[in-house]
Amino acid sequence: MPGVGAIGARCRHRPRRSPREKPEAKPGEAGAAMDAAIWIYQFRLIVLGDSTVGKSCLLHRFTEGRFPGPLHSDPTVGVDFFSRLVEIEPGKRVKLQLWDTAGQERFRSITRSYYRNSVGGLLVFDITNRRSFEHVKDWLEEAKMHVQPFQIVFLLVGHKCDLVSQREVTREEAEKLSSDCGMKYIETSAKDATNVEESFTILTRDIYELVKKGEITIQDGWEGVKSGFVPNVVHSSEEAVKPRRQCIC
Amino acid sequence: MSEEDNGENLKGETSHEDENEQKVEELGSTESNEEREPVPVTRKRPEPKAPSQSAGTETPTAETSKVSEPPASQSGWGYWGSWGKSLLSTASATVATVGQGISNVIEKAETTLGIPSPSEISSETRDATRGSENPDANSADATGDGSSFPIAGAFGVLSTISTAVQSTGKSVITGGLDALEFIGKKTMDVIAEGDPGFKKTKGLMNRTSTLSQVLREAKEKEEQQTATEVTMTTEKKAHYGLLFDEFQGLSHLEALEMLSRECESKVKLVLNALSGEELETVKEEMEQLNEAFSLAEFFEEEEEEKKGDEEFTKEVTELFAELRISTKPDKLIMVRTSAHDWIAQFNSSLPKEEKESEENEEVEPGGGDHDVKKSVEDIHAFAIRSLAELTAYSIESFHRTAALFLHGQKQEVTATDRAKSLSQVTIVLCKELSSFSKEFTTCLTIAGVKEKADVLNPLITGVFLEASNSASYIQDAFQLLLPVLQLSLIEARTELSQQ
Repeated sequence: MPGVGAIGARCRHRPRRSPREKPEAKPGEAGAAMDAAIWIYQFRLIVLGDSTVGKSCLLHRFTEGRFPGPLHSDPTVGVDFFSRLVEIEPGKRVKLQLWDTAGQERFRSITRSYYRNSVGGLLVFDITNRRSFEHVKDWLEEAKMHVQPFQIVFLLVGHKCDLVSQREVTREEAEKLSSDCGMKYIETSAKDATNVEESFTILTRDIYELVKKGEITIQDGWEGVKSGFVPNVVHSSEEAVKPRRQCIC
Repeated sequence: MSEEDNGENLKGETSHEDENEQKVEELGSTESNEEREPVPVTRKRPEPKAPSQSAGTETPTAETSKVSEPPASQSGWGYWGSWGKSLLSTASATVATVGQGISNVIEKAETTLGIPSPSEISSETRDATRGSENPDANSADATGDGSSFPIAGAFGVLSTISTAVQSTGKSVITGGLDALEFIGKKTMDVIAEGDPGFKKTKGLMNRTSTLSQVLREAKEKEEQQTATEVTMTTEKKAHYGLLFDEFQGLSHLEALEMLSRECESKVKLVLNALSGEELETVKEEMEQLNEAFSLAEFFEEEEEEKKGDEEFTKEVTELFAELRISTKPDKLIMVRTSAHDWIAQFNSSLPKEEKESEENEEVEPGGGDHDVKKSVEDIHAFAIRSLAELTAYSIESFHRTAALFLHGQKQEVTATDRAKSLSQVTIVLCKELSSFSKEFTTCLTIAGVKEKADVLNPLITGVFLEASNSASYIQDAFQLLLPVLQLSLIEARTELSQQ
C-alpha cells in the first residue's frame, strides 16, 4: 500500500526549484514536462458532493500529499482543477484530470455542464453529516440526467472517517446504498491520508478495465477518455498490438 | 550600427504614435506596403526592411562590446514598456490588414538571408486555418509542420499557432549577438504588427475551434514530441504548453469557454425576447459594456517603467477589490513575487562572480556554487515556467471571476464598471508579462556572454515569443468575459424591474 510519502515522491519528479529560491513551491504542483507526458490514457474524473464534505481536501491530499487544514478552506468557486498520474500496472500510467466541483447550490448550474465530459466520478459525503449522505441519491440522479449519452463510473466515498466519534452514517447503510446504485464504497480521511490513494486507484482501475474491454471508447468531442503518447521504449509487446494511439481518424 | 538605428527608431516611433493610431482605422481597408511607411500599426519602425538586412549583415565582432553594456540594452528594452498596450489597442483592429505586412517582412528577410520561402510559411498558415474547419486535416497538419522547425521545442505552443512568427523570429535571429536588443525589438515589432498567432487564434475561435482547443492541440503535440524524444536536453524541458497545462491553465480556459458560450446563448435568447423601447435601452447599456471591452482607452504613462513588486501587488489587489467578488489574486502575486525574487537573486549574484570570483564560493549561501550560477538553459526554463504559470493563473482568475459574477453575492457594482476594472487587470498583466520577458532576457544576455549566438538567440527569442503569446491568451480570455458580463447586466436589470 503506497503511503503518503510515496505520493509526494511520485509528484516530485520535476526539476524543482530549490527551496531557497522559492520556499512556497509545492511538491506536485507541476511535474517535469517529460515525465508528465508519458501516460497511456487520460481520464477526466469529476468530484461531487455537498458543500463542506471535503472534496477539495481530498484532492489536495491526493495530488499534493498535504492536508490544507481549516485555514485554507475557502469554498470552491465553480470548479477547480487538479491532475496526477496513477500507475495502474507496472509501466502503465494514467493521467487523471480531476474536476473539483463546488458543492454550493448556487454553482449548481455551472457544475451540471461538467458531467458530460467525465468518465468517472467520486461521489463524496461526510460520514459526520447525515444530510450529505441523504443527498447522494440526488447527486446521482442529477449526474445521470446530464451525462447522457455517455456513461459515468461512480465511486461512493464516505469522507472524514477519522472523526469516528461524530459518525452519523454507518458503514453498513452506506454500503447498502452503494451496492443498490451499482457503486463501490470506500471510507477515506484526507486528514489522516486514509484510503485517499486507494479511492482514486480503485476508480481508475475500474475505468481502465472498462476501456480495455471496449465498453468505454474514446470518442471525438468527448473529453472523458483520451489516449496518450508512450515513448517507444515503454512499449510492451501487448500494448503495441493494441490500437491505442491517438485516434486521428 | 544597429544601436543607432534603434535609437532613431525609438524616437521615430514615439513621435509617430498618435498619428499611427489614427491610421489604424483609416488604413484598415488599404493594403499595407512594406516599402511605404504606413503599415497600420502603433509600433513600427520607419524602414521595415532595414532590420532584416542589418540582422543578416551584422558581424559577430561587435558581440562582446554590446553585451558588456547591459544598461544600454536595458534602456532599449524599455521600448517595450507599452508593448501590451500596443498589442491590446491594435491587435483586433489591425489584424485584418497587418497579415499582409508581416508576409512582406518575411519576404524581405527571406530574400536577404535565404530562409525558407514565405509562400511555404503562408501556405502552412493557410493549411492550418483550413484544418480548423476540417479536424482531420488539422491533426495531420499539426503533426507534420511542427517537426520541420528545429527549435520548435523551445517555442512550445507557438509551433502550431504562430508558424509565421516563429519563422520570422528565426530569420531575424540569424544575426549576431550584437543584434540582441535589436532582435527583441524586431521580434516584438513583428508580433505587435502582425501577431499572426493572435490572428490565427482569433480566426480559429471564430470558426469551430476554441482557444483551449488550439492550445490543447499544441500541448498534445509537445507531449508527443517529449514522449518520443527520450533523451532530452535541459533546454527542451521548457515546454510552455505542457507547463501551462500543468498549472491547470488549459482546464480553466476550457471551463471559462464553456461558461462564456452558455452566457452567449442565454444573452441571445433574452435579446430575442425583447422588443421596442426595452430592447433599445438594453442595447444601449450593452454598448457601453462592449466599449469597456474594446480596450480603446489607455493612459499614456510610459514613465512608470520600473515598477516595484509592491506596485503590481497593490494595483492587482485594488482592481480585484473593485470587482467586489470573493476572490483574491493571491496566486498571481505569488508567481510574480517569486519570479522577481529569482531575478533579484540572479542579479545580486552577478557582481560577486565578476569581481571577486575567487571569494565566490565562500560568499554564497549554502556554498552551492552550481546552484547560484545559473546556466542560460536554467534561466530560459525558469522564464518559460514563470510565463506559463502567470498566464495560467491569470486565466484561472478570469474563470473564477466569471463564475462569481454569475453566481456570487448580489452585485454592488455595475457590469460596466467591472468590465473596466477587468480591462485594467488585463493591461497590468500584459505589462507584467512584458517586463518579465525583458528582465529574463536581460538575465539571459548577461549569463550568456560566453555562449554562442545560436545557443543564446533561440532562447531569448523563445522567451519573447512565449511572453507575447501569453499576452494574447490573457487578452482572449478577457474577451471571453464579455458574454458573462452581458448576462450579468441583463440579470441585474430584470432584478431591478422586478422590485
